[in-house]
Amino acid sequence: MRVLLAEDDPMIGASVRHGLTQDGFTVDWVNDGRAAETALSERVHDALVLDLGLPRKSGLDLLSAMRRRGDARPVLILTARDAIADRVAGLDAGADDYVVKPFDLGELAARLRALLRRGAGRAEPIVSYGRIQFNPSIREVRVEGKAVQLSARELALLEALLARPGAILSRGQLEDKLYGWSDPVESNAVEVHIHALRRKLGADLIRNIRGVGWMLAKRDSAAP
Amino acid sequence: MSSIRRWLLVWLLVGAAVAIAGAAVATYLRARDEANALFDYQLSQMAASLIDAPFAAVPPDAPALGPGADALIVQIWDRNGVQLFLSQPRRELPQHAQLGFTTVATDSGEWRVFSTLAEGQVVQIAQPMSARRELAASMALRTIVPLLAALPFLALIAWVTIARGLSPLDRVADAVARRSPTVLEPLSETGLPSEVRPLVHALNGLLERLDHALLAQRSFIADAAHELRTPLTAVHLQAQLAERATTEAERSTALVELKGGLERATRLSEQLLALAREEPGVSERTPATVDLGATARAVVADLAPLAAAKSIDLGLNGAPGVTVRGDADALATLVSNLVDNAVRYTPSGGRVDVVVASEGDSALLAVRDNGLGIALEDRERVFDRFYRGSAAHTAGAARGSGLGLAIVKRIAERHAATVELGPGLHGEGLGVTVRFPR
Repeated sequence: MRVLLAEDDPMIGASVRHGLTQDGFTVDWVNDGRAAETALSERVHDALVLDLGLPRKSGLDLLSAMRRRGDARPVLILTARDAIADRVAGLDAGADDYVVKPFDLGELAARLRALLRRGAGRAEPIVSYGRIQFNPSIREVRVEGKAVQLSARELALLEALLARPGAILSRGQLEDKLYGWSDPVESNAVEVHIHALRRKLGADLIRNIRGVGWMLAKRDSAAP
Repeated sequence: MSSIRRWLLVWLLVGAAVAIAGAAVATYLRARDEANALFDYQLSQMAASLIDAPFAAVPPDAPALGPGADALIVQIWDRNGVQLFLSQPRRELPQHAQLGFTTVATDSGEWRVFSTLAEGQVVQIAQPMSARRELAASMALRTIVPLLAALPFLALIAWVTIARGLSPLDRVADAVARRSPTVLEPLSETGLPSEVRPLVHALNGLLERLDHALLAQRSFIADAAHELRTPLTAVHLQAQLAERATTEAERSTALVELKGGLERATRLSEQLLALAREEPGVSERTPATVDLGATARAVVADLAPLAAAKSIDLGLNGAPGVTVRGDADALATLVSNLVDNAVRYTPSGGRVDVVVASEGDSALLAVRDNGLGIALEDRERVFDRFYRGSAAHTAGAARGSGLGLAIVKRIAERHAATVELGPGLHGEGLGVTVRFPR
């Protein structure tokens, strides 16, 4: 899952990016409102973590503009404990959730996962698809109940495919999920990771539509 | 406790008593004069009526006249000096009196004597002066008795009137008692007597100043708490990352970052303290003569390692003997904040010049850099505490406390110095010029 972090404080921004990356998110970090707006227009992020006190364009303005454009991606705001009015204004402007500063990195990640899950229309924390169960909070994948070790990139790919079952995702779309702006994109990486996923989870799970991209195979065909 | 009411009452009564006593004395003196005139006339009339009466020599054992007659003594002599009549044989009066009115002192007090000569007889009538004095005294007494009787009534009226007159003070005291640090609205000045109004007016002035001071204090504390939250949030997150670290390398990186966060929180609290110290009325240290060049040299030496770490060429161009009167510690803080800001907001490879010079009547300190500068629209506001110019948000620039220039401004104000923002080196960056009067 690729997340846009809009936070103007360098230390807080660096720590949140670090923590979320550890929890399996791909994080892009901007430190003012206008940069956040530009990043959102690329439409590669699945969620936005927004500090309301941004320079150049306030978090609230950014949020209302985003909702006016019909951009429904989940937004989680970072607010201060005593700023209840800010929090209310943020929720009213279209935020989906908030955490109060100083917050816990684990809680932030859990709330983000919940937002993404609800955004995908699921209530269950564990994603099941055919024989596969994926638990995003502990980054664990089981095949028929047996835990399988996946690398962070493989997990990110699987997560992207699971988020939109039945949709064909292009190489570019998958790369967007795998790499933040600061990560160098390796050539053929998507093929390499798909190959690894097929090897670990079963060859028939992911189908390649030549010249278009990849998609998850139908549930029944993924069954043994 | 002194009481205006009691004081007024006592002095009012004392005044009234003195006035009554004065009236008594005046009445007595006038009554005595009038009694003298009246009685003298009476004496002369009586003497005239006695002249025609035939008298023979009185026998020595003649009985005294009736009671009360001792008020008057009548003596009559014939032309040979033989006493023809004496109303009071036991009384001693001068045998040969002057004609007309005289006052004679005898054993039985002063007597008023009238002597007249007619048809060979001398008629002498005497009356004791005490009778006249008694009459005058009784008249004076009759005058002051009603006044004395009115005195308690006067006191009562005074007591009540003074209480009513002072009641606005009670109302003011009540209104003041209802004021609290959160409710400092001005007292109503309508309907107050002119004696109380200046007091209430002055009180209102005080309340207003107090309100301003409290407001400033509250907003400062709120701002300070808000600003401290950001570095503390950062420290909180950094500590979590250190906790999560699984390898030694990760942990040591996290700890380095944590240390950075702590340094920043420390610096902010130090700056807050510095600002609080510059609050008017807090520090009244006696001014000393401060060598501005030496101060700048010490600051540049302190910050040289920081500048070197960013490859910034930091230098001082200080004229010798430039001194100002002021607080040495505060001036060092001022220079340090300016140089620290310049180094912080100048990208690596840049240059920061500190200049100390005399210019006419003033001592001049300038810190010029070729860094990011401050946008014109920000220049008014950068002196506000916690305001950061847009350059301060540029990625990579270490974030300051937002207090540096606010502190500079306070210190400059305390030294009657002006702070000017202008272009820095070769027309780029920022130049801050502080002018101290001498």
